[in-house]
Amino acid sequence: MTVLCFDRVHFGYGGRPAIDDLTLSVDAGEGVALLGPNGAGKTTAARLAMALEQPDRGEVTVAGASTRGRQPEDLAAAVGFLFQDPRAQLVERTVQLEVAFGPRALGWEESRVSGAVADVLGQLGLTEVAGSHPYDLPLPTQRLVGLGSVLVAGPRLLLLDEPTAGLDRMGRERVCRVVGQHRAKGTAVVAATHDVGFAIEALDRGILLSEGRVLADGSLAGLLDEAWDIEPPVAMAVSRALGFPPTVNRLADVARAVAALPVEAP
Amino acid sequence: MSVVFEGVSFRYPEARVPALRDVSVSIRPGEVTWVFGDLGAGATTLLLVASGLAPRHTSGVLSGRVTVLGVDPATDPALQGDIAYVTASPEAQLSHVAETVSQEVAFAPANLGWPRERIWNAVGQALERAGVAQLADRHPAELSGGQLQRVVLAAMMALEPRIWILDEPASALDVSGKAMLHVLLREAASSGAVVLVASEDADAMAGVADRMIVLSEGSTILDDAPSTILSGDAVWQVCRGSTTLADLARRAGAIRPASEFCAPYPITVPEAVARWRR
Repeated sequence: MTVLCFDRVHFGYGGRPAIDDLTLSVDAGEGVALLGPNGAGKTTAARLAMALEQPDRGEVTVAGASTRGRQPEDLAAAVGFLFQDPRAQLVERTVQLEVAFGPRALGWEESRVSGAVADVLGQLGLTEVAGSHPYDLPLPTQRLVGLGSVLVAGPRLLLLDEPTAGLDRMGRERVCRVVGQHRAKGTAVVAATHDVGFAIEALDRGILLSEGRVLADGSLAGLLDEAWDIEPPVAMAVSRALGFPPTVNRLADVARAVAALPVEAP
Repeated sequence: MSVVFEGVSFRYPEARVPALRDVSVSIRPGEVTWVFGDLGAGATTLLLVASGLAPRHTSGVLSGRVTVLGVDPATDPALQGDIAYVTASPEAQLSHVAETVSQEVAFAPANLGWPRERIWNAVGQALERAGVAQLADRHPAELSGGQLQRVVLAAMMALEPRIWILDEPASALDVSGKAMLHVLLREAASSGAVVLVASEDADAMAGVADRMIVLSEGSTILDDAPSTILSGDAVWQVCRGSTTLADLARRAGAIRPASEFCAPYPITVPEAVARWRR
């Protein structure tokens, strides 16, 4: 089932094209990495999908309905958007209230809200800071709070803009796990990212944008193998150098293959 | 000429525990010093204190002594223009008065009262080096996060500071942007500047930094060459991770204990391949 569709979309800022005849579609449960150089149109594509911008020409369809004439809040039940600067979306006085904000705005019953909030805080390792003011937390932790607040209501489409920027290894692993859990429940995840290490762990399709157009669209590992001026993740580079099969790309898989290498004769 | 911490502790208002505890360290000019630690270990606070921004702009209580080029970075006007600080969020760093990227990069030099010709020479060179010359006439609000990060770095270069302090400066940069940043850091250090970088990206910084300082719960735990720390086990006892290669070795070793998966861990992919291919 298609959750997000761009049909020949054009969009520009002040007459300067940012998205140029973009056509793509994303199905439920898919994990897509939006790749490309700085200024390729990754963030703009995500903004169009959230109805933060309207196409100049063409059509963006989200969860079966066109974004034409709709506001971001009309899409809030179906789409979660994590901004590159999470402070752009943090409005509440505590982490707990922040994560509860969306479900409450959607009219959820209080008992359902508190259960969902507790789950998400636990998944993202935020339980300890539930009572903290979001602005008292380090920026990468604010990013996790933003992520929690956009996925708590179980959106059908999750748009993430550089979700792992500045996160430590444990934070990245948590984001990977949460993305996996939501994909398994049918949420489509589209992440604009330069963190190919995160991408290969959590996502499996890659769309490479350049000057607002699709340059390549296919298996993420295949795309990274094509060396489109993207440095492959370290674990994948090790896998290729040791001649492992092309499906061995994630850390755990590469580690297993490394451990299974023949032992030197004594 | 350097950044010197003597017994520095720092606590944010309302915080239960200090962000820095009795830190004594001297950051030398001529090398790239990289601060590493888990989220909340104190890296950002160390940078804020070194640049004189904490507690002035953050509130909180500082004890101990911090000097930059021999004076107090928070109050001494002699340092004006000498310290350039890059936050992890480029949007937060814009002047919000400039209408073009050129004006944005010219903002700090103009405020320092540089002559016009010197400003525009410095701006032109900085835009070129940061790879954003083609964006010179664009409005900063129109740019992507990665483009903004390059503009912020250009603004820093234009100042020709003696002290470079950067917090996760590569978080939104593409491959060529990261390469540009690494050249920039190396060149700044070679020119005799103090270069202090906080980064979680151990894979990238392993090949760029001369010195690595590992923080845990606000204290400096390890301080050595990056290759020494990253090839060892100690960093794993105080942090949740280091490089991907060390992570791979440890995961492989957990499956099949063997000497080739123990420390010293490989630092580069060719080293790892040579060690693990039998």
